[in-house]
Amino acid sequence: MTIKNFISVSPKRGIAGLISLALVLAGGAACNDSTALTGVDTNRVYNQIERLGNPLVSEVFFPKRDHGLHNNKGPIDDTKTMALGGTDVPGHIRSFVSQFPNRTEKTITTLQAVLAPDELLVFPNRTPATAGWLSWALANGYGGRKLTDDVVDVGLSAVFGNAVDAAQPVLAGLTSDNVGPSVRSFSTTFPYLEAPRQ
Amino acid sequence: MLPRGRILPIAIAAGIVASVAGIGTLLASDHQDTPEVELNPRMDINDVYAFPGSTPDRIALVMTTSSPIAGTTTASFDPNLLYQIKIDNGGDAQEDLVFQITFNTGELTAQRVRVVGPIAPTRQGTANVLVNTSSAVEGPVGTNLGSDTGIQVFAGLRSDPFFIDLEQFFNILPDRRPSTGALSGPPTATASAFRNPGVDLLRPFNALAIVIELPKAQLVSSTAADAKFGVWATISR
Repeated sequence: MTIKNFISVSPKRGIAGLISLALVLAGGAACNDSTALTGVDTNRVYNQIERLGNPLVSEVFFPKRDHGLHNNKGPIDDTKTMALGGTDVPGHIRSFVSQFPNRTEKTITTLQAVLAPDELLVFPNRTPATAGWLSWALANGYGGRKLTDDVVDVGLSAVFGNAVDAAQPVLAGLTSDNVGPSVRSFSTTFPYLEAPRQ
Repeated sequence: MLPRGRILPIAIAAGIVASVAGIGTLLASDHQDTPEVELNPRMDINDVYAFPGSTPDRIALVMTTSSPIAGTTTASFDPNLLYQIKIDNGGDAQEDLVFQITFNTGELTAQRVRVVGPIAPTRQGTANVLVNTSSAVEGPVGTNLGSDTGIQVFAGLRSDPFFIDLEQFFNILPDRRPSTGALSGPPTATASAFRNPGVDLLRPFNALAIVIELPKAQLVSSTAADAKFGVWATISR
């Protein structure tokens, strides 16, 4: 980080900012503003009430009565049955997909394999151009999730189409919600998300 | 398909109420992910993203919360909550590194954010404590903080990045309908296919976003092609 960049990011920091810069260059704090945030209590225990990794997992595959269960557990619990205190992501996927006609075992087991445990997987040393939700599994790609990823259509195509299993019958009209990323204008520079709507 | 906390946006996007006062009414009456979220929408994680950053050796992590927010008024992160992005780089489905994000009181740019991490957690799992360290990125909400060669942070109001025709989704899968509000209804399907074109119902609304960009080597030290990590976000109180 150059002094010019530092000042441009936070032009009001003045001497305090330059002191912070010195700390950064010395290998200390990453960046501290002159006014510290108060109330940091390292003794307080925070209990998890909400969790999200991959899109769809809780919201689609879990019935509403089990959303709280997913929220209050961690990925380590996702492959355990509910009887053993887990969230049973594989079981929930099977229950949801199986309610629709002619869904194949390959589709179910593939979804179970890539979504449990519920972590958004990233292979950061692979080609950045291959980034995209589940690309690590579908195309040996970078994985992760881009802002432009149409995860709705990916999910619909897997469950109702033949994206995962070419032998699975396509349920017409259900493989896309016909809303795509072109409706948004994401930036190519940090922080990437669009400015707030007025 | 159905992201967390998307029931309320539909109720609002249905166009029944556009005023802030009206949204308050819907907030009070609509059904969300869990009772906790229904009581406090700021506890709601909307989406998580992870994608290549500004250079090939960097990666960006994003979590959005609190959508839908109409306009730019009085939106703030909850100072009593701990927002975390967790990283599993050991393949054991437990976090090896965490980002811990906290806020003080205040609204919009008067609020301040403190981001610690990536750092090994003091406690793994679902009961966590703040890591005792003075190393943090800290500053006002709504401002790019940190270094574009080190850890860079933004926390603040952004347009909700998620896109979906959720109304039609409910028409096709009515068991996911909200129990109250404009899109509530009988548990019977009223459509068997998506409409074309679809309707991007979240387009008018904002979310509170936390964006962190950093060198990927701080998350995974290996340079092997198959080196990987898993990421998820949590909110705790």
